[in-house]
Amino acid sequence: MTTSTDISLEWVDKPTDSAIKIAVVGKGGSGKTTTSGVLARTLARRGFSVVALDCDTNPNLGISLGVGDTETERLAAIRQALDDEGSEHAPSWHELIDRFGSDAPDGVRLAVVSRIENPEPG
Amino acid sequence: MRIAFIGKGGAGKSTVGSTFARLLARRGHHVVAVDSDPMPGMCFGLSLPVIDSPIPDDAVVEKGDGETGPRYRLRPGLDAATALSRYSMTGADGVQLLSYGKTRGEWGDVARGQHAWSQILDELPRDSFDLIGDLPGGTRQPMTGWGKYADALIVVVEPTAKSLATATRLATLRESKWNYREVVAVVNRATETGDAQLVQRRTGLTVIATLPSDDAVARADRLGIAPLDADPTGPFVAAVDMLVSTCIDRYSLAELQQHHTCPAKDSAR
Repeated sequence: MTTSTDISLEWVDKPTDSAIKIAVVGKGGSGKTTTSGVLARTLARRGFSVVALDCDTNPNLGISLGVGDTETERLAAIRQALDDEGSEHAPSWHELIDRFGSDAPDGVRLAVVSRIENPEPG
Repeated sequence: MRIAFIGKGGAGKSTVGSTFARLLARRGHHVVAVDSDPMPGMCFGLSLPVIDSPIPDDAVVEKGDGETGPRYRLRPGLDAATALSRYSMTGADGVQLLSYGKTRGEWGDVARGQHAWSQILDELPRDSFDLIGDLPGGTRQPMTGWGKYADALIVVVEPTAKSLATATRLATLRESKWNYREVVAVVNRATETGDAQLVQRRTGLTVIATLPSDDAVARADRLGIAPLDADPTGPFVAAVDMLVSTCIDRYSLAELQQHHTCPAKDSAR
Protein backbone atom coordinates (compact mmCIF):
# COMPACT_ATOMS: atom_id res chain seq x y z
CA MET A 1 0.00 0.00 0.00
CA THR A 2 0.99 3.61 -0.23
CA THR A 3 3.44 4.72 2.40
CA SER A 4 5.81 7.60 2.88
CA THR A 5 9.57 7.71 3.08
CA ASP A 6 11.73 10.27 4.79
CA ILE A 7 14.83 11.18 2.89
CA SER A 8 17.87 12.62 4.58
CA LEU A 9 21.05 13.63 2.85
CA GLU A 10 23.11 13.59 6.07
CA TRP A 11 24.22 10.02 5.57
CA VAL A 12 25.23 10.51 1.96
CA ASP A 13 27.45 13.50 2.57
CA LYS A 14 30.06 12.53 0.02
CA PRO A 15 30.55 9.96 -2.68
CA THR A 16 31.55 6.54 -1.42
CA ASP A 17 32.34 3.23 -3.03
CA SER A 18 28.91 1.75 -2.45
CA ALA A 19 25.98 2.83 -4.56
CA ILE A 20 22.80 3.92 -2.84
CA LYS A 21 19.30 3.28 -4.08
CA ILE A 22 16.41 5.47 -3.01
CA ALA A 23 12.76 5.04 -3.91
CA VAL A 24 10.37 7.91 -3.37
CA VAL A 25 6.73 7.00 -2.73
CA GLY A 26 3.58 8.70 -1.47
CA LYS A 27 0.10 9.93 -2.35
CA GLY A 28 -0.53 11.47 -5.76
CA GLY A 29 0.27 15.15 -5.83
CA SER A 30 2.26 15.07 -2.59
CA GLY A 31 5.49 15.90 -4.40
CA LYS A 32 7.22 12.58 -5.18
CA THR A 33 8.39 13.61 -8.63
CA THR A 34 9.47 17.10 -7.58
CA THR A 35 11.38 15.71 -4.59
CA SER A 36 13.01 13.03 -6.74
CA GLY A 37 14.14 15.55 -9.33
CA VAL A 38 15.73 17.86 -6.78
CA LEU A 39 17.27 14.93 -4.90
CA ALA A 40 18.84 13.50 -8.05
CA ARG A 41 20.37 16.79 -9.16
CA THR A 42 21.55 17.66 -5.64
CA LEU A 43 23.36 14.33 -5.36
CA ALA A 44 24.87 14.82 -8.81
CA ARG A 45 26.17 18.23 -7.81
CA ARG A 46 27.90 16.63 -4.84
CA GLY A 47 29.80 14.35 -7.16
CA PHE A 48 27.61 11.28 -7.26
CA SER A 49 26.97 9.53 -10.54
CA VAL A 50 23.17 9.55 -10.57
CA VAL A 51 20.64 7.54 -12.57
CA ALA A 52 17.05 8.75 -12.19
CA LEU A 53 14.52 6.04 -12.97
CA ASP A 54 10.93 7.06 -13.63
CA CYS A 55 8.91 4.03 -12.52
CA ASP A 56 5.54 5.78 -12.83
CA THR A 57 3.16 4.56 -15.55
CA ASN A 58 2.47 8.27 -15.99
CA PRO A 59 6.10 9.41 -16.28
CA ASN A 60 6.71 13.08 -15.46
CA LEU A 61 10.15 13.00 -13.84
CA GLY A 62 11.75 14.59 -16.91
CA ILE A 63 9.71 17.73 -16.30
CA SER A 64 10.95 18.03 -12.71
CA LEU A 65 14.56 17.29 -13.71
CA GLY A 66 14.41 20.08 -16.24
CA VAL A 67 14.64 18.26 -19.59
CA GLY A 68 11.35 19.81 -20.71
CA ASP A 69 7.94 18.58 -21.85
CA THR A 70 8.99 17.48 -25.31
CA GLU A 71 11.91 15.31 -24.22
CA THR A 72 9.84 13.84 -21.36
CA GLU A 73 7.18 12.83 -23.87
CA ARG A 74 9.78 11.44 -26.29
CA LEU A 75 11.21 9.17 -23.58
CA ALA A 76 7.75 7.96 -22.66
CA ALA A 77 6.99 7.27 -26.31
CA ILE A 78 10.13 5.22 -27.01
CA ARG A 79 9.50 3.22 -23.85
CA GLN A 80 5.96 2.57 -25.08
CA ALA A 81 7.28 1.56 -28.51
CA LEU A 82 9.57 -0.95 -26.85
CA ASP A 83 6.60 -2.55 -25.11
CA ASP A 84 4.57 -2.51 -28.30
CA GLU A 85 7.29 -4.51 -30.06
CA GLY A 86 6.35 -7.31 -27.75
CA SER A 87 9.90 -8.57 -27.54
CA GLU A 88 10.31 -11.42 -25.14
CA HIS A 89 13.38 -10.18 -23.34
CA ALA A 90 13.32 -7.15 -21.09
CA PRO A 91 16.08 -4.67 -21.82
CA SER A 92 19.12 -4.95 -19.62
CA TRP A 93 19.77 -2.08 -17.24
CA HIS A 94 22.57 -0.58 -19.30
CA GLU A 95 20.57 -0.92 -22.49
CA LEU A 96 17.67 0.81 -20.79
CA ILE A 97 19.89 3.65 -19.63
CA ASP A 98 21.92 3.97 -22.84
CA ARG A 99 19.31 3.52 -25.53
CA PHE A 100 16.19 4.69 -23.75
CA GLY A 101 17.65 7.30 -21.45
CA SER A 102 18.33 10.99 -21.74
CA ASP A 103 20.87 13.39 -20.28
CA ALA A 104 19.38 15.73 -17.70
CA PRO A 105 21.05 18.79 -16.12
CA ASP A 106 23.93 18.31 -13.64
CA GLY A 107 24.90 15.05 -15.33
CA VAL A 108 21.89 13.06 -14.15
CA ARG A 109 20.96 10.22 -16.53
CA LEU A 110 17.20 9.76 -16.82
CA ALA A 111 15.41 6.61 -17.99
CA VAL A 112 11.73 5.73 -18.12
CA VAL A 113 11.13 2.26 -16.73
CA SER A 114 7.37 1.85 -16.83
CA ARG A 115 5.17 2.06 -19.82
CA ILE A 116 2.05 4.00 -20.51
CA GLU A 117 -0.79 1.62 -21.12
CA ASN A 118 -1.83 1.45 -24.72
CA PRO A 119 -5.41 2.70 -25.09
CA GLU A 120 -5.77 1.38 -28.63
CA PRO A 121 -8.18 -1.45 -29.28
CA GLY A 122 -6.52 -4.79 -28.97
CA MET B 1 -25.77 10.52 -15.76
CA ARG B 2 -22.68 8.40 -15.65
CA ILE B 3 -19.43 10.31 -15.47
CA ALA B 4 -15.97 9.67 -14.02
CA PHE B 5 -13.21 12.01 -12.91
CA ILE B 6 -9.64 11.24 -13.97
CA GLY B 7 -6.35 13.18 -13.93
CA LYS B 8 -2.95 13.46 -12.35
CA GLY B 9 -2.59 12.46 -8.70
CA GLY B 10 -3.43 15.38 -6.45
CA ALA B 11 -5.27 17.31 -9.17
CA GLY B 12 -8.44 17.25 -7.08
CA LYS B 13 -10.48 14.37 -8.53
CA SER B 14 -11.80 13.12 -5.20
CA THR B 15 -12.55 16.57 -3.85
CA VAL B 16 -14.34 17.65 -7.02
CA GLY B 17 -16.05 14.27 -7.41
CA SER B 18 -17.41 14.03 -3.89
CA THR B 19 -18.60 17.65 -3.90
CA PHE B 20 -20.20 17.10 -7.29
CA ALA B 21 -21.93 13.92 -6.08
CA ARG B 22 -23.44 15.67 -3.04
CA LEU B 23 -24.61 18.73 -4.98
CA LEU B 24 -26.25 16.42 -7.53
CA ALA B 25 -27.93 14.46 -4.73
CA ARG B 26 -29.28 17.73 -3.29
CA ARG B 27 -31.11 18.19 -6.58
CA GLY B 28 -33.02 14.98 -5.96
CA HIS B 29 -30.86 12.51 -7.85
CA HIS B 30 -30.05 9.04 -6.52
CA VAL B 31 -26.26 9.24 -6.61
CA VAL B 32 -23.70 6.46 -6.37
CA ALA B 33 -20.11 7.57 -5.78
CA VAL B 34 -17.88 5.00 -7.45
CA ASP B 35 -14.36 4.83 -6.02
CA SER B 36 -11.93 2.42 -7.65
CA ASP B 37 -8.84 3.59 -5.79
CA PRO B 38 -7.45 1.07 -3.28
CA MET B 39 -6.94 4.16 -1.13
CA PRO B 40 -10.44 5.60 -1.42
CA GLY B 41 -10.41 9.37 -1.63
CA MET B 42 -14.06 10.29 -1.81
CA CYS B 43 -14.83 9.28 1.80
CA PHE B 44 -13.54 12.63 3.12
CA GLY B 45 -15.81 14.66 0.89
CA LEU B 46 -18.76 12.42 1.76
CA SER B 47 -18.07 12.74 5.50
CA LEU B 48 -17.40 9.01 5.81
CA PRO B 49 -14.63 7.35 7.81
CA VAL B 50 -11.68 5.74 6.03
CA ILE B 51 -12.55 2.12 6.65
CA ASP B 52 -12.33 -1.08 4.67
CA SER B 53 -15.61 -1.87 3.02
CA PRO B 54 -14.78 -4.53 0.47
CA ILE B 55 -17.48 -6.51 -1.26
CA PRO B 56 -17.48 -9.90 0.51
CA ASP B 57 -16.43 -13.01 -1.38
CA ASP B 58 -19.81 -14.67 -0.93
CA ALA B 59 -21.50 -11.94 -3.01
CA VAL B 60 -20.55 -13.97 -6.09
CA VAL B 61 -20.57 -17.55 -7.26
CA GLU B 62 -18.03 -19.08 -9.62
CA LYS B 63 -19.26 -20.18 -13.01
CA GLY B 64 -19.64 -23.86 -13.49
CA ASP B 65 -17.84 -26.05 -15.99
CA GLY B 66 -18.98 -25.40 -19.53
CA GLU B 67 -20.75 -22.13 -18.68
CA THR B 68 -19.81 -19.02 -20.62
CA GLY B 69 -19.38 -15.46 -19.39
CA PRO B 70 -17.30 -13.99 -16.61
CA ARG B 71 -15.67 -16.20 -14.03
CA TYR B 72 -17.75 -14.82 -11.16
CA ARG B 73 -21.35 -13.55 -11.13
CA LEU B 74 -23.48 -12.07 -8.36
CA ARG B 75 -25.03 -15.01 -6.59
CA PRO B 76 -28.53 -16.08 -7.69
CA GLY B 77 -31.22 -13.78 -6.28
CA LEU B 78 -28.82 -10.90 -5.67
CA ASP B 79 -29.51 -8.11 -8.15
CA ALA B 80 -27.35 -5.04 -8.67
CA ALA B 81 -29.56 -2.62 -6.72
CA THR B 82 -29.77 -4.97 -3.75
CA ALA B 83 -26.03 -5.57 -3.84
CA LEU B 84 -25.46 -1.81 -3.91
CA SER B 85 -27.64 -1.20 -0.87
CA ARG B 86 -25.92 -4.02 0.96
CA TYR B 87 -22.28 -3.28 0.15
CA SER B 88 -22.17 0.51 -0.09
CA MET B 89 -21.83 3.09 2.66
CA THR B 90 -24.26 6.00 2.76
CA GLY B 91 -22.53 9.33 3.17
CA ALA B 92 -23.58 12.96 3.42
CA ASP B 93 -26.65 14.00 1.42
CA GLY B 94 -27.53 10.34 0.91
CA VAL B 95 -24.74 9.64 -1.57
CA GLN B 96 -23.92 5.92 -1.62
CA LEU B 97 -20.21 5.14 -1.79
CA LEU B 98 -19.36 1.93 -3.62
CA SER B 99 -15.66 1.44 -3.10
CA TYR B 100 -13.39 -1.14 -4.57
CA GLY B 101 -10.71 -2.96 -2.65
CA LYS B 102 -9.14 -2.50 0.70
CA THR B 103 -7.36 0.42 2.26
CA ARG B 104 -5.01 -1.67 4.37
CA GLY B 105 -3.59 -5.09 4.85
CA GLU B 106 -3.08 -8.00 2.55
CA TRP B 107 -4.74 -8.09 -0.81
CA GLY B 108 -5.27 -11.79 -1.25
CA ASP B 109 -7.53 -12.73 -4.14
CA VAL B 110 -9.50 -9.67 -5.22
CA ALA B 111 -11.04 -11.23 -8.32
CA ARG B 112 -14.39 -11.97 -6.62
CA GLY B 113 -14.85 -8.44 -5.33
CA GLN B 114 -13.71 -6.99 -8.62
CA HIS B 115 -16.23 -9.00 -10.63
CA ALA B 116 -19.05 -8.09 -8.22
CA TRP B 117 -18.08 -4.42 -8.40
CA SER B 118 -18.10 -4.40 -12.22
CA GLN B 119 -21.36 -6.29 -12.49
CA ILE B 120 -23.13 -3.94 -10.08
CA LEU B 121 -22.08 -0.96 -12.24
CA ASP B 122 -23.06 -2.76 -15.45
CA GLU B 123 -26.50 -3.72 -14.24
CA LEU B 124 -27.72 -0.81 -12.11
CA PRO B 125 -30.71 0.68 -13.98
CA ARG B 126 -29.51 3.74 -15.88
CA ASP B 127 -32.71 5.68 -15.31
CA SER B 128 -32.68 5.44 -11.52
CA PHE B 129 -29.04 5.76 -10.50
CA ASP B 130 -26.45 8.41 -11.35
CA LEU B 131 -22.84 7.20 -11.20
CA ILE B 132 -20.10 9.65 -10.26
CA GLY B 133 -16.71 7.95 -10.51
CA ASP B 134 -13.33 8.74 -9.05
CA LEU B 135 -10.35 6.88 -10.53
CA PRO B 136 -6.83 6.73 -9.11
CA GLY B 137 -4.40 9.35 -10.34
CA GLY B 138 -2.45 8.83 -13.53
CA THR B 139 -3.09 6.88 -16.70
CA ARG B 140 -3.09 3.19 -15.79
CA GLN B 141 -6.67 2.61 -14.59
CA PRO B 142 -8.34 4.92 -17.14
CA MET B 143 -6.44 3.31 -20.00
CA THR B 144 -7.24 -0.22 -18.90
CA GLY B 145 -10.99 0.29 -18.85
CA TRP B 146 -11.75 0.99 -15.21
CA GLY B 147 -13.91 3.96 -16.17
CA LYS B 148 -15.95 2.16 -18.80
CA TYR B 149 -19.16 2.46 -16.79
CA ALA B 150 -19.05 6.20 -17.58
CA ASP B 151 -20.46 7.93 -20.64
CA ALA B 152 -18.14 10.88 -20.20
CA LEU B 153 -14.69 11.20 -18.65
CA ILE B 154 -13.85 14.50 -17.02
CA VAL B 155 -10.12 15.19 -16.74
CA VAL B 156 -9.31 17.36 -13.73
CA VAL B 157 -6.34 19.54 -14.71
CA GLU B 158 -4.29 21.96 -12.69
CA PRO B 159 -2.45 24.70 -14.58
CA THR B 160 0.92 23.02 -14.00
CA ALA B 161 3.34 21.33 -16.42
CA LYS B 162 2.95 17.82 -14.99
CA SER B 163 -0.84 18.02 -14.73
CA LEU B 164 -1.01 19.27 -18.33
CA ALA B 165 1.29 16.48 -19.54
CA THR B 166 -0.89 13.89 -17.79
CA ALA B 167 -4.08 15.39 -19.25
CA THR B 168 -2.56 15.36 -22.73
CA ARG B 169 -1.91 11.61 -22.39
CA LEU B 170 -5.42 11.05 -21.04
CA ALA B 171 -6.86 12.93 -24.03
CA THR B 172 -5.91 9.90 -26.15
CA LEU B 173 -8.80 8.08 -24.45
CA ARG B 174 -11.06 9.80 -27.00
CA GLU B 175 -9.73 7.25 -29.50
CA SER B 176 -9.82 4.30 -27.13
CA LYS B 177 -11.91 1.16 -27.42
CA TRP B 178 -14.00 2.06 -24.39
CA ASN B 179 -16.57 4.09 -26.33
CA TYR B 180 -16.63 7.17 -24.18
CA ARG B 181 -19.14 9.65 -25.49
CA GLU B 182 -16.82 12.44 -24.50
CA VAL B 183 -13.54 13.20 -22.80
CA VAL B 184 -13.52 16.79 -21.51
CA ALA B 185 -11.53 18.86 -19.03
CA VAL B 186 -12.20 20.82 -15.88
CA VAL B 187 -9.54 23.28 -14.66
CA ASN B 188 -8.92 23.08 -10.93
CA ARG B 189 -7.07 25.54 -8.69
CA ALA B 190 -7.24 28.13 -11.42
CA THR B 191 -5.45 31.33 -10.50
CA GLU B 192 -5.19 33.24 -13.76
CA THR B 193 -7.77 34.27 -16.30
CA GLY B 194 -5.98 32.45 -19.11
CA ASP B 195 -5.89 29.06 -17.37
CA ALA B 196 -8.85 27.58 -19.26
CA GLN B 197 -7.37 28.64 -22.61
CA LEU B 198 -4.01 27.20 -21.57
CA VAL B 199 -5.56 23.81 -20.74
CA GLN B 200 -7.62 23.77 -23.92
CA ARG B 201 -4.64 24.68 -26.10
CA ARG B 202 -2.20 22.25 -24.51
CA THR B 203 -4.49 19.22 -24.14
CA GLY B 204 -6.91 19.71 -27.03
CA LEU B 205 -9.74 18.98 -24.59
CA THR B 206 -12.85 21.13 -24.30
CA VAL B 207 -12.90 22.87 -20.91
CA ILE B 208 -16.41 22.71 -19.46
CA ALA B 209 -15.70 24.40 -16.11
CA THR B 210 -13.05 26.38 -14.28
CA LEU B 211 -12.81 25.85 -10.53
CA PRO B 212 -10.97 28.62 -8.72
CA SER B 213 -8.18 28.21 -6.23
CA ASP B 214 -9.97 28.56 -2.88
CA ASP B 215 -8.27 28.85 0.51
CA ALA B 216 -11.29 27.26 2.18
CA VAL B 217 -10.68 24.06 0.18
CA ALA B 218 -7.03 24.00 1.24
CA ARG B 219 -8.06 24.37 4.88
CA ALA B 220 -10.69 21.65 4.52
CA ASP B 221 -8.10 19.33 2.92
CA ARG B 222 -5.75 19.95 5.83
CA LEU B 223 -8.47 19.05 8.32
CA GLY B 224 -9.85 16.12 6.31
CA ILE B 225 -13.35 17.57 6.09
CA ALA B 226 -15.60 18.17 3.10
CA PRO B 227 -15.28 21.56 1.38
CA LEU B 228 -19.06 21.52 1.12
CA ASP B 229 -19.28 21.50 4.92
CA ALA B 230 -16.32 23.82 5.53
CA ASP B 231 -17.47 26.59 3.19
CA PRO B 232 -20.81 25.78 1.54
CA THR B 233 -21.12 29.19 -0.11
CA GLY B 234 -17.48 29.61 -1.19
CA PRO B 235 -16.24 30.08 -4.76
CA PHE B 236 -15.13 26.44 -5.19
CA VAL B 237 -18.52 25.00 -4.22
CA ALA B 238 -20.33 27.57 -6.37
CA ALA B 239 -18.20 26.59 -9.38
CA VAL B 240 -18.79 22.87 -8.83
CA ASP B 241 -22.54 23.55 -8.63
CA MET B 242 -22.33 25.23 -12.03
CA LEU B 243 -20.47 22.15 -13.29
CA VAL B 244 -23.36 20.01 -12.05
CA SER B 245 -25.78 22.10 -14.13
CA THR B 246 -23.51 21.79 -17.16
CA CYS B 247 -23.28 18.02 -16.80
CA ILE B 248 -27.05 17.65 -16.40
CA ASP B 249 -27.41 19.56 -19.67
CA ARG B 250 -24.78 17.49 -21.44
CA TYR B 251 -24.87 14.01 -19.96
CA SER B 252 -28.27 13.27 -18.41
CA LEU B 253 -29.90 10.13 -19.78
CA ALA B 254 -32.71 12.14 -21.41
CA GLU B 255 -30.16 14.33 -23.14
CA LEU B 256 -28.16 11.37 -24.41
CA GLN B 257 -31.28 9.65 -25.73
CA GLN B 258 -32.62 12.79 -27.36
CA HIS B 259 -29.51 13.07 -29.47
CA HIS B 260 -29.51 9.38 -30.28
CA THR B 261 -25.99 9.14 -29.01
CA CYS B 262 -26.73 7.04 -25.98
CA PRO B 263 -23.86 4.58 -26.05
CA ALA B 264 -24.58 0.94 -26.54
CA LYS B 265 -23.99 0.42 -22.87
CA ASP B 266 -27.31 -1.06 -21.85
CA SER B 267 -27.91 -1.64 -18.20
CA ALA B 268 -28.05 -5.36 -18.83
CA ARG B 269 -25.32 -7.18 -20.65
